[in-house]
Amino acid sequence: MLRVAVPYGLLSSTQLRMLAHIARRYDRGYGHFSTRQNIQYNWPKLEEVPDILADLASVEMHALQTSGNCIRNTTSDHLAGVAADELEDPRPWCELIRQWSSVHPEFNWLPRKFKIAVTGAARDRAATAIHDIGLRLVRGPEGSTGFEVAVGGGLGRMPILGKVIREWLPGEELLAYLEAILRVYNLHGRRDNIHRARIKVLVKALGIDAFRAQVEAEYQANRAHVPTVTPGRIAALRAAFAPPAWRPLADLPPPAAPAASAAFVAWHRHNTVAHKVPGYRVVFVSLKKHGEAPGDITADQMDALAALADRHSFGELRSTHDQNLVLADCEQGQLAALHAELDRLGLATPNIGTLTDMICCPGLDFCSLANAGSIGVAKQIHEQFDDLDYLYDLGEIQLKMSGCMNACGHHHVGHIGILGVDKHGQEWYQITLGGSPAGEASLGEVIGPSVPKAAVAATLARILETYVRCRQSPEETFLQAVRRLGVQPFSERAYAQDPATA
Amino acid sequence: MRKILQRRELVADPWRYPGEEGAVPQLLALAEAVAAGAALPPGSGVMVAPGEDIAPLLPLLPKVAIVVLRFEKAGEGRGFSLAQLLRQQHRFGGTIRAAGAAVKRDLLFLLARCGCDEFEFAAGEDPVAASAHLQRFSVAHQPASDLLVHPSLRA
Repeated sequence: MLRVAVPYGLLSSTQLRMLAHIARRYDRGYGHFSTRQNIQYNWPKLEEVPDILADLASVEMHALQTSGNCIRNTTSDHLAGVAADELEDPRPWCELIRQWSSVHPEFNWLPRKFKIAVTGAARDRAATAIHDIGLRLVRGPEGSTGFEVAVGGGLGRMPILGKVIREWLPGEELLAYLEAILRVYNLHGRRDNIHRARIKVLVKALGIDAFRAQVEAEYQANRAHVPTVTPGRIAALRAAFAPPAWRPLADLPPPAAPAASAAFVAWHRHNTVAHKVPGYRVVFVSLKKHGEAPGDITADQMDALAALADRHSFGELRSTHDQNLVLADCEQGQLAALHAELDRLGLATPNIGTLTDMICCPGLDFCSLANAGSIGVAKQIHEQFDDLDYLYDLGEIQLKMSGCMNACGHHHVGHIGILGVDKHGQEWYQITLGGSPAGEASLGEVIGPSVPKAAVAATLARILETYVRCRQSPEETFLQAVRRLGVQPFSERAYAQDPATA
Repeated sequence: MRKILQRRELVADPWRYPGEEGAVPQLLALAEAVAAGAALPPGSGVMVAPGEDIAPLLPLLPKVAIVVLRFEKAGEGRGFSLAQLLRQQHRFGGTIRAAGAAVKRDLLFLLARCGCDEFEFAAGEDPVAASAHLQRFSVAHQPASDLLVHPSLRA
């Protein structure tokens, strides 16, 4: 497997065309967008990798630090720069971190991999609470920009939410502070056991207060050796993310029957969201079509999508950690045409934010670590829940599925989480409820014994029937209902008709 | 005879490791150097194993001519931070040698940027071919100790 870095999920149409070319020329005609906004190819030939890397380099892309015990791709909000709830565009800061972390001489052989996420919005769409370092842009004295810094979040075998180490860090101190955290981790993180080597284990062992004291001491001692991020540097980075040339437009009313088709109305409602500028919408390109593995996209789809990005969204796309793509700057007046094109490409499944917009790791089909064929379960769920009206009635539900406890599918923070486990060579699935990566982030609670593969979708159906029966109003979301009721009413019902579960 | 890449030249090692026989001066294990304390002779050499705490050595640094950092296993990355700490916060102006089975060409650029200026390569690594990797990348995004990679930055 070759994993290609997509820094903070931002892609030009030129880059997407190259990704299509690579899929077609060196792989089996498709690629897979991961939960870390990167793209993976499953079938490259080792001897052709140098050619692939040369092709990537021609469009300023690479595969550096996409594996290994180093600082990985910095991830961010897929609505950066266009969200109305944004304090400030996080991407200039992501780019600052990307540059600093690229081939950092000191931090290429850390105890374990290291992931940083940045959000600049009120609603955290970057899942910062489950990263080794989570950075939340906040305003400080006289309107200055800084960060709330959380450390030690993560999933895997030891799911835990990050703890705040600094409530206020001035933006110009960012690299000095990151360097201090990384140095303390590099010197003192465990190296004797791969499962105990992430920074979360060190933070937990020391306690956040003792860890903070070490980091602050290192930060002060090292202060003279890491330059501050000058206003000029930040200004240059911000200039690199200047908004596109939005036209002065007025908002249009949303499409409605009978003038608009039901398909367009549904797609508009579910696959587009508000843009901060009048006359524009943000369009989600669903990579969750029934019958396709979540996150997969073919070379032909990539080429066609690159053309649509050129025509409708200033030649730019974003990948999301939910394994979809985004065209961020689409004129409302062009949406019907865009919908028709996406529909023709099979990229307009109107399921964004619903149960079948699930995130899913590659699983047994491609991964040597997996216990379970998560992609097969995804298909089973698509088949069980093929009624769009029922999906819409269920409302916003994040289903996240991992094929093993390494949790690449982020199952701990799914409203519904599904984890593949191996029982005597058979695939079984453990279900958790009530996790969330955003806002008041939380880890899901296991509802009871795992269920056999064939029973996963039916078990989910009973859980969701329970939700529909118990919700206080149609406005109460699944997550809210689970938080209000606890998992018990759901677990009681989940196993009701399935005595075979053990 | 052990060959050492010293700056950019391959030389016979002017030091004996602890336990070795020979005419050249002997490196001390960290514990030995610390135990000597004020009696440590000027121009001493000290060997530091992965995970050893160098704090007790810091007051003695003016008497230390060379610190040898061991990199025995692939993935052992603590020495990178130790080298940076020695160069930057502790203003160590002597030699820092990276030594051990994990010292191969792909690390050379990174080690040099962290302030190492001598290298004892893993068995089987060709030191001359490896030394070309001191210039592995033409740009760097971060300030570092950079004794060899960017000589202009040398103090």
